[in-house]
Amino acid sequence: MTARGARIDSLRTARRRGLAALTEREAFRVLRLWRQTIVPQIIAATLFVVVFGIALGREIREIEGVPYEQFIVPGLVLMGVVTQAFANNATSLYQARSDGFIEDPVTSPMAPRHLMVGYLSGGVLRSILIAVGTLAVARIFVEYPIERPLVLAATIVIAAIGFSALGTIVGLYSTGWEQQNFTLNMVIQPLAFLGGVFYSINALSEPWRSLTFADPIFYAVSAARYGVLGEAEVSPWLSVGVTTAVSAVLLAWCWVLFRRGVGLRT
Amino acid sequence: MSADARAAESTPALRCRGVHKRFPHDVIALDGLDLEVPAGSFFGLLGPNGAGKTTLIRSVVGLNEPDAGEIAVFGHNALGPGGAPTRRIVGYAPQEIALDKFVQVQQLLELHGRYFGLERRDARDRAAEMLEQFDLTNKARAYANRLSGGMRRRLLLARALLHRPRLVILDEPTAGVDIELRQDLWSYIRRLHADGTTILLTTHYLDEADELCEQVAFIRDGRIAAEGEPDQLRERFGAPRLEDVYLQLVGR
Repeated sequence: MTARGARIDSLRTARRRGLAALTEREAFRVLRLWRQTIVPQIIAATLFVVVFGIALGREIREIEGVPYEQFIVPGLVLMGVVTQAFANNATSLYQARSDGFIEDPVTSPMAPRHLMVGYLSGGVLRSILIAVGTLAVARIFVEYPIERPLVLAATIVIAAIGFSALGTIVGLYSTGWEQQNFTLNMVIQPLAFLGGVFYSINALSEPWRSLTFADPIFYAVSAARYGVLGEAEVSPWLSVGVTTAVSAVLLAWCWVLFRRGVGLRT
Repeated sequence: MSADARAAESTPALRCRGVHKRFPHDVIALDGLDLEVPAGSFFGLLGPNGAGKTTLIRSVVGLNEPDAGEIAVFGHNALGPGGAPTRRIVGYAPQEIALDKFVQVQQLLELHGRYFGLERRDARDRAAEMLEQFDLTNKARAYANRLSGGMRRRLLLARALLHRPRLVILDEPTAGVDIELRQDLWSYIRRLHADGTTILLTTHYLDEADELCEQVAFIRDGRIAAEGEPDQLRERFGAPRLEDVYLQLVGR
């Protein structure tokens, strides 16, 4: 079965090309809109470093024996990763659905898994750029080590995949922009702020300390903190493990939606 | 002619058997529809709004999932995730103009070609060729949302044809298009058909269908009410024009 006049390529090759094109398209969108997709989050993280770390840090000095301005850097990186991975995919998917141009890749020979990976790539790329940008700009103001670079890199990538998947899920279910804003502002942002970005959970009293253990973003922040500082509130195995498990569940949910055509087919 | 070639020639471009699609609130869009579009034909699917034309077309390209029935394109299943490979040989220009506004026109066409399995260089060459065919070369670097309505309609058609499909489905391609552009579009589609591409067209312009289509089918309430060559149908219904056949069959 071939298109007339075209060279005969295997379905696998054709789908691989489709996936490469969709990935490129999602990356292009992130890079073309860099003033909206990359810069604001890096500026926001920098302001947090300057205001909380440097200005207020003089009052707080140290947390768990770590200078405060160092302590908050990994959390800020992860906060940017999870919020922007989510926002990217929720927006991209919903816009493509509401404007109708998602029909172009959906009517192509690509399988659901190719569509899913292609769409996830945008959120992952955006998150990685924000993480690298935040680390680089924070370095201008704060001296910090990166004790476990592999743990940090793995945490960023795993969290980026998981929250891109969550954004995709919301983008597929959404019937209006307000649902994405609600999820971002009322669920993800609060979980990020309460996930120990600015404080150690050891400073919390009960029941807040126990409740924090139910916050999945706490584990991602803790894993990133271990990657940067070489120490964190919980074991790196637990924090990386929970982050991976949460991302795996979100990814599986996302795959089921693509497989069933939720938001893509009627 | 070899046995394989004879089989390929006799396999219909599109075969629908007992296709049923019910939407929420008990809206039956397709009610056990049967249809066969011969390979290489210029086929018109005619009917009023809500008759099921677009639902059927969207089922063929994988945007609707029928509740029951079979759809095959050149003998290959076109339904469900297993039908995805079949879409390599189908080109689809939807009724609604929906074009990616984040990429430039040339890039939009190249991406489409690659979604459908063309290699990068082939997609680039083919995009340039289609831009020239549809007189859009000077808009290659523009964004689709900055184009006029007529240009967007041409771009939509260029996109549908870019990956060299064997079956091209055009859902009201000339709706809201001026006469000059309509003539241009039809002259290109005619050439394409002359080269052996099967065309499935839906339109509300019955004179257009009468002039272009070798066969037509009238759809009413999700079923085919009648089908055949325009001349045969006029004779069978004792009607001077296809429009009169339409009014007898599906008019309200």
